[in-house]
Amino acid sequence: MRWGMVIDLKRCIGCYGCQLSCKAEHGTPPGVFFARLLKQEEGHYPTVRQLFLPVLCFHCDDPPCVDVCPTEASFKWPEGVVDIDAEKCVGCRACMMACPYTQRYFYDEEQYYFPGNGATPYEKARSQRHQTGVVMKCNFCRDRVIAGKEPACVANCPAVARYFGDLDDPTSEVSRLIKERGGYTLHPELGTGPAVYYLPT
Amino acid sequence: MTAISGRYEQLIQDLKVEYRPQREWIERQGLFLIVGHFLSGVAAGTWFFSLAFGLHAGLAAAYALAAVSGLAHLAFLGRPERFWKMWRARNSWIARGFVGLTLFLTGGLLYLLPLFFSNTPWSSASFMAKSGYYISIAGMIILLLYKGFVYASSKGVPFWTSPILPALYVAYALRGGVAALLLILALTGDGLSHERLGPLELWIGLSAAVMVLFYLGVMSGANPVARRSVYELVRGRVAVSFYVGTLIVGLAVPIVLGLAGAAGSISTVTVAAIALASVVGDFFIKYTIAKAGIYIPLRPRPAHSRVAAGH
Repeated sequence: MRWGMVIDLKRCIGCYGCQLSCKAEHGTPPGVFFARLLKQEEGHYPTVRQLFLPVLCFHCDDPPCVDVCPTEASFKWPEGVVDIDAEKCVGCRACMMACPYTQRYFYDEEQYYFPGNGATPYEKARSQRHQTGVVMKCNFCRDRVIAGKEPACVANCPAVARYFGDLDDPTSEVSRLIKERGGYTLHPELGTGPAVYYLPT
Repeated sequence: MTAISGRYEQLIQDLKVEYRPQREWIERQGLFLIVGHFLSGVAAGTWFFSLAFGLHAGLAAAYALAAVSGLAHLAFLGRPERFWKMWRARNSWIARGFVGLTLFLTGGLLYLLPLFFSNTPWSSASFMAKSGYYISIAGMIILLLYKGFVYASSKGVPFWTSPILPALYVAYALRGGVAALLLILALTGDGLSHERLGPLELWIGLSAAVMVLFYLGVMSGANPVARRSVYELVRGRVAVSFYVGTLIVGLAVPIVLGLAGAAGSISTVTVAAIALASVVGDFFIKYTIAKAGIYIPLRPRPAHSRVAAGH
């Protein structure tokens, strides 16, 4: 089994729902984005179009971030999810330099979103879940998936542009979409084998 | 708990640009990593040449530099209290560096103590001291090598992923070692004659200059991201540090003074100037190469496009 995600760029409307639902699910502090949306404008007036590219950790099959970690804090679960054991992380940030997709963030000090007002009750609760001085990243909402739910960004996408499933199962929806719609990964030339595929616009 | 910091604002700006600079290994705490790399390189080089020339003061200086470099590395870590967990040397060059520093400090202590203190339980001819000697050499070799490979294994920053970089860092570490010995010679006035070290410094300095140019030449012909880093180095935001620190102070000054010294007699002040300039250059080569590092953009940029990022 290898968990994977397919993002249909034809359906994505650039609403930031994935980014916000991820923030709500994980309570990530300012400066930490497990899911993000890139927007890109292409062309010249009047023939301009806007492209959206939602990104998250690509959960590579051969993750460079795991190899460089000096403490085994970065590791892979059997289902292919690349994760960080915060208790082992020393905060050397080598994984951030090794990740070709820049999907890791260093949480150096506690911060909150409303300067002058102090931490909200939600932020206080959230800060208990995260350690400072360590690197953070997406883990495909592993706890949710084990509990039988979809990752937050998939479950909350209003355009149904995201699909989650088993890449090793040729009958799964993600495998079918990749095959039928020509799913592709970013920077395949690096040989990292990402588990996040995009369907063309 | 603090409010949203300038660091956050900086990150948001960085996420909007196509060529996002790496900041974790150069800014704020990151500067300690550069200092640690610089000091450990000079320490290993100084140990190597001090052993070769039998200079006890150099050995002591190398040991002190390595110890300070360890502290600098600790200051860099987000969780320094967990440093002892860094033993996964199978794949990680950082872990190898940690092992190397541990070997160097342990072996060096065993070797140095009887050299400087007569009342130690073991003598300098004992098995303990000889073991320390070989352990420290093993640590020294790792310290010479590991830094370049730490950068070269960083796949996210194409400017660093070159086999030339480890060789360049070894050359600079050796040069730093000669420079440290010259400095000791100038300060103490005893030990070696600089006639022996001067040509060595000049030769390593010239080699380093050739390697810097070779490295930049290769990377400027590599992929667009590495080319962008070269651009940052020679014409962009790192240019002042590169020209002043690395090229003028670090290479031109020692080479010119070294050539002038080779042509005639050389004063102690000049020897000290060559050494100091070389050491400054050693620091700045590491500083500028780290600062010029740029992450791979998430996707190739089509013509006439502009990228934005939500936050």
